[in-house]
Amino acid sequence: MADITGPSIPTTRYPMWRWAALWRELFGLAWQRMPGMVVFYFAANIVVLGGVAGTALALRWTIDATIHGDAGSAALAAVLAALAYAVNVVLADLVATPIPLIDQPAILGLLPRVLSDLAAIETLDHLERSDVLDRVTIVRRSPWMIMAGFWSSVGAVFALAQLGVTLLLLGTVSPWLLLLLAVAAVPLWCDRRGSRAVTEAELATAETFRLQQHLFELSTTPAAGKEIRVAGSAAEIVRLQAQAWQQTMNGRARASAVGAAWKFGGWLVFTAGFAAGLAVVVDGTANGAGTVGDLVMAVTVAATLRNTLHGAVTRTASVAQVSRFVEPLFWMRDHLAADRAHRTGTLVAPPVLTEGITFHDVGHTYAGTDRRALDGISVHLPAGSVVAVVGEYGSGKTTLVKVLAKFYRPDSGRVTVDGVDLADLETRAWRARISAAFQDFGRFATTFGQNVGLGDLPHLDDRERVAAAVREADADRVLRRLPDGHDTLLGRDVGGLELSEGQWQKTALARASMRPEPLLFILDEPTASLDAPSEQEIFQRHMARARELGARTGAVSVIVSHRFSTVTGADLILVLDKGRLVEAGPHDELIALGGRYADLYGIQADAYAATS
Amino acid sequence: MPVRARRIRLLRALRAARPPLIAALCAVTVLNALIPAATAIATAFLVSRISGHAPSGLLAAATVPLLLFAVVMVAGHAAEAVTVPLEFMAKARIDGAHRTDLARLAAGGPTVDRLESPRVQQLIRIARADPRNWTERTPGDGAVGQLHWLIGLVGAAASCGVLAGYAWWLVPALLVPAALNGFLGNRMHGRFVEAWRSGIPQGVHGAAWEDALASTGEGKDIRLFGLEEWTVAQIRRHLRGLLEPVWRLGAKAWRADLRRFLLIAVPLAGVYAAVAGGTAHGDATVAVETAVLATGWSLFQAFGLGEDARNMSAALETLDAYDEVREALRRDEPDEARASAEPTTGRATVVRFDDVCFTYPGTKRRVIDHLDLEIRPNELLAVVGLNGAGKSTLIKLLSGLYEPTAGRVTADGVDIRQLGAERWRQRISVVFQDFVRYHLTVAQNVALGCGDVPLDYDALEAAARDAGLGDVLDRLPDGWDTPLSRTRTGGVDLSGGQWQQVVLARALYAVRTGARLLVLDEPTAHLDVRTEFEVFDRLAARRGETSVVLISHRLSTVRQADRIVLLENGRIAESGTHDELVAAGGAYAAMFAIQAERFQRGYDDVSGADADSEEATTHG
Repeated sequence: MADITGPSIPTTRYPMWRWAALWRELFGLAWQRMPGMVVFYFAANIVVLGGVAGTALALRWTIDATIHGDAGSAALAAVLAALAYAVNVVLADLVATPIPLIDQPAILGLLPRVLSDLAAIETLDHLERSDVLDRVTIVRRSPWMIMAGFWSSVGAVFALAQLGVTLLLLGTVSPWLLLLLAVAAVPLWCDRRGSRAVTEAELATAETFRLQQHLFELSTTPAAGKEIRVAGSAAEIVRLQAQAWQQTMNGRARASAVGAAWKFGGWLVFTAGFAAGLAVVVDGTANGAGTVGDLVMAVTVAATLRNTLHGAVTRTASVAQVSRFVEPLFWMRDHLAADRAHRTGTLVAPPVLTEGITFHDVGHTYAGTDRRALDGISVHLPAGSVVAVVGEYGSGKTTLVKVLAKFYRPDSGRVTVDGVDLADLETRAWRARISAAFQDFGRFATTFGQNVGLGDLPHLDDRERVAAAVREADADRVLRRLPDGHDTLLGRDVGGLELSEGQWQKTALARASMRPEPLLFILDEPTASLDAPSEQEIFQRHMARARELGARTGAVSVIVSHRFSTVTGADLILVLDKGRLVEAGPHDELIALGGRYADLYGIQADAYAATS
Repeated sequence: MPVRARRIRLLRALRAARPPLIAALCAVTVLNALIPAATAIATAFLVSRISGHAPSGLLAAATVPLLLFAVVMVAGHAAEAVTVPLEFMAKARIDGAHRTDLARLAAGGPTVDRLESPRVQQLIRIARADPRNWTERTPGDGAVGQLHWLIGLVGAAASCGVLAGYAWWLVPALLVPAALNGFLGNRMHGRFVEAWRSGIPQGVHGAAWEDALASTGEGKDIRLFGLEEWTVAQIRRHLRGLLEPVWRLGAKAWRADLRRFLLIAVPLAGVYAAVAGGTAHGDATVAVETAVLATGWSLFQAFGLGEDARNMSAALETLDAYDEVREALRRDEPDEARASAEPTTGRATVVRFDDVCFTYPGTKRRVIDHLDLEIRPNELLAVVGLNGAGKSTLIKLLSGLYEPTAGRVTADGVDIRQLGAERWRQRISVVFQDFVRYHLTVAQNVALGCGDVPLDYDALEAAARDAGLGDVLDRLPDGWDTPLSRTRTGGVDLSGGQWQQVVLARALYAVRTGARLLVLDEPTAHLDVRTEFEVFDRLAARRGETSVVLISHRLSTVRQADRIVLLENGRIAESGTHDELVAAGGAYAAMFAIQAERFQRGYDDVSGADADSEEATTHG
């Protein structure tokens, strides 16, 4: 069996200004929604800075007063130290987790913004390619992480300021201790190095982790459970799941160990520097340059210094971590920008089609493959016609209709609609004049009524229109079975009803029947899981509708099918083979031709021929 | 559950990390916990050497305490650094074992009805240990948190020891408020978790729309129908619903912070003042005072970090859900105990439905209603019927995935329940309509048709030949080793038709490795004509000793069967050969006429047929 290896996502480095712009955007989101909280957050951080210095100074005062036998001053100083500490603890906790009051309202701004961008990419590559899908998955989770990263970076600035204040305090003990400022850079740098190793490992193991999730999902869902039980494959599935888990975790554990080694190395250097610094202070005390209070302050500050530096490191590390969420976000925004740059189309589709749709030597190759999914397709689909696309699997049928819907841009040739290049039509305006039921149609986790109504958004909740579309798709029996009719929630994930394959398919067909005046109507293998009478009924209705639309708006109906009984009545049948158009014409012509179509048709027709 | 039982439950989960790792983790955690006290003592040692020492030779005198101090610091850093990978590994082992156990539990068990119960599915979602938000924790988090918490007590005890070096009463004076502070902090956190969870149903809806945006099927429809902004608006609405309960609570949380401040400030100020004043009066040395001052606040830190408690309580929810799943899926009697019947004969079998009834739990309608049916050896039996006639339920009863509510299914006269699920299923193979698409290699996808025998390459090749899979294999970049998912490196997504061929090969592989009854539920819906024709030709010719039950809407295929039965309202309404049924002029004849006429005359002039109702599968 093939081994399971992870993909390598190339990490791109983005220039600083992009980060700065993003940070400005994030701050803006928070400020816009919660100005008061933002002010409080910054004020609290400044108080914490003062608190750190206050605690240390009060402590020195306490010790020195004690040594001088001044009980009153010592007690007062000790009380001040306690208060400063308490203020610090409470505020530091507050500012360490700016959720939920600042973070989450800003999420409410950021998440829809990111997802809008994702939705705004007009082509489908980003949802279909494995390497790209990895990024998309990260982008989807990114708003929370990025927002947390942003506040971490603000926290990091304050942590660094606190580090500075602390070191300045040490500087009051001995100027030599100021050198620690330079030494402190070592653990900072090492920690970043370590966390980068961890990040890379997580990306490299993302694929096996997903596989593990997939196998776990299969083991625990009833649909897959049926087959797994009958085939007796449970043990093997579970074994593979455990293996994928282990592979993932081994990779990540190794990286974690590497990260720990870097981290420790950094601290080792720092500790050596600090111990040397302390020796200088002790020496100073001996020479009367300082007091025992100085020493205690230096040592105590050293303990807090560890925490302070640690805080700075973890925060900068989590800022560094956030790059793996920010980079895919930048990538997606670039991808969107590139997608937008391709959109030269500004024209709207004509109200009615007069000539039709024409393919001019159209070719398409999927990214990452070298096989031509479509190769030199030239054909004219006359206005008002019903066009059937047939061919064996993998022959390019679905690619052809996806090109029509502008889901892919042909990489050679062009498609024209009444003489206008499809590329010159504004995509959304063009799509507004298409209706379609694809083979892998959407199953939306919402009510049945909305599942249908989404086919024509302005009439989403228009009961009459929805009911008409439901009738059109022969889905009224599905509807009648639903406990709450139109308001029945569908989708198991959200606690709704799960429909059977055939019922979903009829729902999708009903959705495709919502738009009143499409210029292009696509049915991609629409009846695969329906019984004969249902299939019959649906075809009749859609044929009638196609004819009616064709007469009214000149709409072209494209039906992709491998059931030949369904395509005989089409005006034009396109026979595809390995991405090439091998035959085109009406049924009778193609039969007379005696080529591939006649061959394939013969097989099915023979099966019915003997009787009745 | 009582507190102690919960702690023990967590520590039991820790066992999956295995002793050497647990020991190492304990060691570094103890080291970590002792660092504050050790730092205080090292500082006091240093101060005691310096205060009162003559300036000359002071540095020499301070060398040992300075080195000690440095060692404590290094040890602290080392412990902290090493903790990270150790904890990671421990959690990975614990969570891996947990998930694998849960997968085994859910995938095992002879019938599928309990797994289908919505309650069990909900519990599995809680128990799956794959955190989807900040309130969820895995058993690994909880077990390590428990360990951490226990060892934290050791550290607190050490700190108390340092405090007692000045006066015993310092211990309760700081320990009680520190513990109370920790307790209140956790309670507050619990409220936040509750508030967050009250919004989760909203979050689930939002996530479903997010999934829709990022998946190909829904993503296409969203773009085609121009639903981009609308979808995002749904997500925003649900997100607000998810977050608002937390904001409302957060707006009130400042009072808790004030209380927290007082709980820390008052006792700490009292103790510090007393110690500083007392030491100034000569009650103790400056070294002791230093140690006390340094330790006092670390005690608050030991209890103040509520992360452990959060990990523990959230992980316990996962573990509790797991225990409940196990309870729900538990069988009263082990499968083997029932399996008292004779072993398989290795030859084709007579299977009989004996007055079988079946009603889905919680519903009234009999989906199967006093059904009698015999499946004869080597027979190619076709089952036809409209959507919702009970065909899928029939398959589930036949394969033992459901047990009849009345009547019995027998194989060679023996109730299949007595035969035992495992033994019975070695003799059958089923291609379900919603077959499984494993994100694994083609070879694995085919071989998993019979998961309980070692991989047989000859059978694999033969099954591929019989299913006509050769063309598909030739086109795949790595042949048999190509993963069938584009989410895998080097993987490809097959079309519906290609998948169906893979699945046919899967079933035929099972036949090659011993299945004597092959059940096909709509196996060719996605196949193109030529392939369908070839597949059936092959199937009819090569089924050999195997009986085939075929469920299909395509009557051109069905007519090749030895015998056809028409299922209507949960029972057999018609039975016979194609010619007999057509001659009888019943429902089958009418159905066939519809399809045949379309080929003869095109379909515009065919009268409509009365289709039966659909069946909503509410039983999932």
